[in-house]
Amino acid sequence: MFEHDFLALFPEIFLINATIILLIYGVVFSTSKKYDYPPLVRNAGWLGLLSVPTTTPLVAVGSPLTVANLVYNNSIIDNSTYFCQIFLLLSTASTTVMCLDYFKQESSNAFESIVSILPPTRSMPFMISAYDSIATYLAIEPQSLCFYVIAASKRDSEFSTEAGSKYFLSGAFPPGILLFGCSMIYGFTGATNFEELAKIFTGYEITLFGAQSSGIFMGISFIAVGFSSKITAVPSHMWAPDVYEGSPTIVTAFPPIAPKISIPANMLRVSIYSFYDPTWQQLFSFRSIASMILGALAAMAQNKVKRLLAYSSIGHVGYLSIGFSCGTIEGIQSLLIGIFIHVLMTVNASAMVLALRRNRFEYVADLGALARTNPILAITSSITTFPYAGIPPLAGSCSKFYLFFAALGCGAYSLAPIGVVTSVISCFYYIRFVKIMYSDTPKTWILYKPMDREKSLLPAITVFFITFFSPYPSPSFLVTHQMALGPCL
Amino acid sequence: MEFAPILVYLVISLPLSLISIGVSSLFASSFGSAYPEKLSAHECGSDPSDDARSRFDIRFYLVPISSIIFDSEVTSLFPWAVPPNNIGLFGFWSMTVFSSISTIGSVHEWKKGALDWE
Repeated sequence: MFEHDFLALFPEIFLINATIILLIYGVVFSTSKKYDYPPLVRNAGWLGLLSVPTTTPLVAVGSPLTVANLVYNNSIIDNSTYFCQIFLLLSTASTTVMCLDYFKQESSNAFESIVSILPPTRSMPFMISAYDSIATYLAIEPQSLCFYVIAASKRDSEFSTEAGSKYFLSGAFPPGILLFGCSMIYGFTGATNFEELAKIFTGYEITLFGAQSSGIFMGISFIAVGFSSKITAVPSHMWAPDVYEGSPTIVTAFPPIAPKISIPANMLRVSIYSFYDPTWQQLFSFRSIASMILGALAAMAQNKVKRLLAYSSIGHVGYLSIGFSCGTIEGIQSLLIGIFIHVLMTVNASAMVLALRRNRFEYVADLGALARTNPILAITSSITTFPYAGIPPLAGSCSKFYLFFAALGCGAYSLAPIGVVTSVISCFYYIRFVKIMYSDTPKTWILYKPMDREKSLLPAITVFFITFFSPYPSPSFLVTHQMALGPCL
Repeated sequence: MEFAPILVYLVISLPLSLISIGVSSLFASSFGSAYPEKLSAHECGSDPSDDARSRFDIRFYLVPISSIIFDSEVTSLFPWAVPPNNIGLFGFWSMTVFSSISTIGSVHEWKKGALDWE
């Protein structure tokens, strides 16, 4: 009954076993008197890092020829999940690379903070391939639980504990709302499986006034709200800046990267496949407009780097939501390209923030005269900020352009102008980075410690991708088109 | 319907316990004439030495947390244990995987020293 399932779930099984082995290894040796209680953070970090990229070829080897339903129709494997999972594993691996030096410098001895990166890494592929609302919920929870633990891991810092509890409280509500939505849907349809729901909702009009059942309307709205607070879209974004600011930088690096892949992937499955209805996309439109405006305006007032990154990530969620609000194949494709490029840029930016972190790198003004103390880093950071702003020859402009193009193509004529205007506004504070680095002379010169080799690879690779994306974008366009066809067909 | 006797038990046991508390007050000698010495906190005869608030030991949290975890494991073991004939070897091995994962958790807890009480 399950033989083929075990083959298809081999990456997840591998990751679970790797987590267990790493946990036991760490706890046995870190408490051993014989080895003088060694701090195993870096060691466990390397082993954890090894296990994540090892999983990637396992996913690739198990690439499906067609669609496969697994575990009693609870999860599905097709092209979109396959590419999403590979990309997710790569991004998690890059986050782990960032961790390696961080924990050593912070002299944190808790190897568990590395080990607790692996359970989310395992549950996010489940989330990507989830094909049932219960499976979705069960996959959301472990990923958030581990993030709460890591966010509150610096027990001697007030900011970290505060951020951890805030993250926990604000992170516990959205799955609750989502769960309430799922139970409304289940109560009114008697189905939790996405395929059955898709059959039920074919030709069903989900508007508030045209609805045959207001319970279903409520259920879908609750699901949308639950999802959107998980990806910090605007009406429910409040926690993000404080959490990003307070928690350890490595946590700041993780939530904007990995869940930004897994949660939209699942939202695609839900919103495009199960509850596909153009009227419902108004929710996404509103969310998108609000996020773009708030992201652009609120980030202008920020002086702290991590808050600024948080607001810019909120703004980018707005741009990505344009893709949802179209609901066309072009829209989904542009959304996937947008996620891909956003994650690349965020990996880059987080690696920068982590590299400069040593001397209390907190305020944007601390970047002053970086062009003279560390010219290559200054060039790299300016190259990073330009695609965030969407300045033409780089990757970020490609993704934004394609999103606006999809919005115009599907007739969402209000989204594209707002997107363009907010992206012009956001140029202000992105270019302010460059101005600070190149023309400001600060009172105190801050000399940063050089980056370690592992971390320095990340900006190098991502800057290469960002710069050379537009000359040869066809592979990613092909891949994302194929992915977009997955939930649509 | 089998719960009805339990409900009756509950209803009867409440006044019974109230009666057994209340009867003693009927026969108590100097009811309501407590003097300060009698109302003070009992600390082996001497006066209380310092503030009653003390730093709370973290172990009193660790033990409940682990018991919550293993309670939930037991909760899922109950439906597994009742029909062993119906689920076959597959059901057996599924639960074995489940309990071995939580065993890993308790091994971690044990090696970490969370179960030590001095």
